[in-house]
Amino acid sequence: MTRRPARAVLLGLPVLLLTLIVGGCGERATSGAPVTLVFKHAKILGPADPVPGLLRRFEALHPGVRVQSEALTWSSDEQHQFYVINLEGGSPPFDVMMLDVIWVPEFARAGWILDLTNFVPPAERDAHFPTAIEPALREGRLWALPWFMNVGLLYYRTDLLAKYGFRPPETHDELIRQVRRIREGERDPRLDGFLWQGKQYEGGMVNVLEALWANGARLLDDAGRPFPEPDRARESLAFLRGLIESGVSPGWVTAGDEELTRRPFGDGRAIFLRSWPYALDLFELPASPVRGKVGVAPLPRLPHGEAGAGSTGGAHLAVSARTRHRALAVELVRFLTSDAAQRAMTESAALRPSRPSLYRDATLVARDPSLPALLELMRRGRPRPITPYYLMLSTTLQPEFSAVLVGRKSPERAMRDASAQVEHMRRAIAP
Amino acid sequence: MRAGARRDALVLLGLALYAAPFFWQALTSLRPDAELLPLARLWPSGLTLAHYDVVFRQSLMPRALVNSLGIALLSTLLAVVLGALAAYALARLPVRGRGLILLGMIAATAFPQIATVSPLYLMMRAFGLRDTWLALILADASFTLPLVIWLLAGFIREIPPALEEAAGVDGAGRLATLRWVVLPLVAPGMASAGLLAFLFSWNEFLFAYSFTATEASRTVPVALALFPGVFEVPWGDIAAASLLASLPPILIVVAFQRFLVRGLLAGALRE
Amino acid sequence: MSDRRLSWLFLAPALLVLGGLTVYPAVWVLWLSLQYRIPVFSISRWAGLEHYAFLAVDTRFWNAAWVTAAFTLVSVALECILGLAIALALRGQRRWRQAAVALLLLAWALPSVVTAKMFEWLYHPSGGLVNFLLGGRTINWLGDPALALPALIAADVWRTTPFVALLCYARLLTIPPDLYEAGQVDGAAGWQAFARITWPLVRPILFVALLFRTLDALRAFDLMFVLTGGGPAGSTETLTVYAYRALFQTLQVGFGSAIGVVVFALVMLVAVAYLRLMNQQERAG
Repeated sequence: MTRRPARAVLLGLPVLLLTLIVGGCGERATSGAPVTLVFKHAKILGPADPVPGLLRRFEALHPGVRVQSEALTWSSDEQHQFYVINLEGGSPPFDVMMLDVIWVPEFARAGWILDLTNFVPPAERDAHFPTAIEPALREGRLWALPWFMNVGLLYYRTDLLAKYGFRPPETHDELIRQVRRIREGERDPRLDGFLWQGKQYEGGMVNVLEALWANGARLLDDAGRPFPEPDRARESLAFLRGLIESGVSPGWVTAGDEELTRRPFGDGRAIFLRSWPYALDLFELPASPVRGKVGVAPLPRLPHGEAGAGSTGGAHLAVSARTRHRALAVELVRFLTSDAAQRAMTESAALRPSRPSLYRDATLVARDPSLPALLELMRRGRPRPITPYYLMLSTTLQPEFSAVLVGRKSPERAMRDASAQVEHMRRAIAP
Repeated sequence: MRAGARRDALVLLGLALYAAPFFWQALTSLRPDAELLPLARLWPSGLTLAHYDVVFRQSLMPRALVNSLGIALLSTLLAVVLGALAAYALARLPVRGRGLILLGMIAATAFPQIATVSPLYLMMRAFGLRDTWLALILADASFTLPLVIWLLAGFIREIPPALEEAAGVDGAGRLATLRWVVLPLVAPGMASAGLLAFLFSWNEFLFAYSFTATEASRTVPVALALFPGVFEVPWGDIAAASLLASLPPILIVVAFQRFLVRGLLAGALRE
Repeated sequence: MSDRRLSWLFLAPALLVLGGLTVYPAVWVLWLSLQYRIPVFSISRWAGLEHYAFLAVDTRFWNAAWVTAAFTLVSVALECILGLAIALALRGQRRWRQAAVALLLLAWALPSVVTAKMFEWLYHPSGGLVNFLLGGRTINWLGDPALALPALIAADVWRTTPFVALLCYARLLTIPPDLYEAGQVDGAAGWQAFARITWPLVRPILFVALLFRTLDALRAFDLMFVLTGGGPAGSTETLTVYAYRALFQTLQVGFGSAIGVVVFALVMLVAVAYLRLMNQQERAG
């Protein structure tokens, strides 16, 4: 028989443990450059990526500094999850980050980003759209600088409207009438009326908010209580569902996101589209079937509201509170959001700047004649509720609104259930 | 016997049809992009490896495959080693409260992951184990351990005690008996338990999705679920990634079928 | 070393891992469910039974409970019927047995995410095989609230029937053929042979399969999360998906834990009920 079983066991366990520890430890590569700033951002889509050029320029201005650019995943939800997991952990491996505007109050409240108030002179702050600066303010302090800006707007087929003698609709009633008349005349069964994003995600929430605002309703009052104008809110929700029921919008808009709705319009199969400015560049590409036939207009209004109540969006740049190179990181943020950098970004990518002055710049307007019109739209745009709990709110309410859009719940019931959920959330946040 | 052969062939064909969704996905992974949407014909005009190329060169799947392999192997090792020792103790050695412990094991196999994921998340966060292999190795092993112990205890009990007693008479101690008599006999059972544990860890999604953040520790199911699509969903690439994700399970089902079946049946039949 | 000491040495590591990663979290989640806990904002406060009180009147919770129940009952019923049918067909198999079992087990062995993506593609309105085989229709299986749950159930049944089939098949193999021969002498054949001989012998194992599958279906998460995300409009949102969203999307760890505890209690209740039933059946003979 044997002599070594005990030794085998005694040897085995430590080896096992060692394997586990070595295998289990996640390694993080550290750079050897003198000072390296890590810049985390989503890939910029468009004809050319302006970011590498800008970063090289920054490096030239600051010798001894290297900026390492790291891409985020494409989906906004994933980006958020990535940030939360890394920032919560305490030592995030990045210095400067690109944030969706709706996350800024949340990250500020969580203490993850740096207070920029003392680094940014008021003149620089005022050079951006007020609706872009507002969401970045919390308790009077500035926590991020706007990088690029978005606003919800109405795309329409100039050729179709002109053919029937219509001007861009000011009210939704007008829009519906125009759709009916045009479809009657065109007799094309594949021509959709009004496309918008009704899928259960943040984009869907934006569309619902715009419908609320178009009717003079808000989602929350100043104290954070839901639906302060319940009748108007109910009307807005019923209106959205009505678009689908009456066939003005095809049923699949309830699964439609930005890209799923852009393509049919870009292929000439729809009359109206609610979307963001980025789509215009794609519609004006040489090979686009709708090239030269697309116009932009403010979003129509409902009986009790105003036209042009588009939601603003876009990205901001913030500095991680745990960065070891504060001054430099803030410099990078100020550099990337500067007039020159935003100008470069506007020229080379499907992005719109957050500085009003650039919309009237002669060179830029020559390249992109839609800028002055967009300036007006940006000015009239509205930010989504500015609260650290916006994402919580949105993900809680999305299913309720989605239920209305697909016809599973009446607007009244959805609003009642949504209010109960919001109340429950508020009890957790503010005792 | 021709009727018998025909019947057998029909059953085989029937089961091949049952597995058709998988073969369709395999075909999709070879179908050129242009013929994916809309679907015009069943068999594509030509086959292409472009999707596999994208998956290997531009996606995070290669790294995810490494992560999954490492995590699955290590968690299986942990579960089987710890499980075998515990199973032997429960099956053969005097243990106070043995019945209670075994009952606890059975109860533990019914624990819903969704209930333990939040405390585990907080735990991993507290120990700084988020986005590491160790977090998943521990979580997976803890989930498969009850089943492994249950299975192995049963297999060990099947070994006639007389064999161990005979070894004892020959002068071998407990550990020696364990090493030279029990282990070789229960090795097939350990293989079965190990295969089940490996399969569980490879396929596991909830813990992996919640505890990982980057490709440093992302496993294959998570990478597949989060497969990037910039504008449109790349169905062909996803199909190729799915095929790659399915390789170890296919291997186990085809090559190690006997062990797998034994493990499945033993787990269910020993109630 | 004495046997007693050895037994504790052998048990200790496993018990440690299980205690720390399974038992402790099980107790902890109960504790969490009684708190307002939002780690991102450092909110940590006693809530008592507030979460449970809210769930009792929360329409989303009851919708999820209904979806879970419907999913479980229909899924398990279909799996048992289909599984038994496959087992009966497989029983007489002489040739190519390994290949047949391999084809069968493939569906079971695939990662649930792979299955989800696979069926998402099969159900695609314009690129999916299902619509193609139905003559080119463009039915939006996963986008229609009325169709999404049946579509999900179909995917789950496909994935888990092999397990039931395998169990029944193994049991059928142990039934000695002479029983059937004896039965044939008595004039029983076909359906009668099944009802009198096969069914009583296969019923216990089917019951065990029923137990396993019910517990699994109640806890199911991967498939519905990846295939539909709980949509459209919550028509496929089970309790597990609701819990996950509360935990990781709205970051309400306390509230999400409460839903998790409910799932936990439900699963345990069902397990206990089944075991009692099985004991009764065994005693009845």
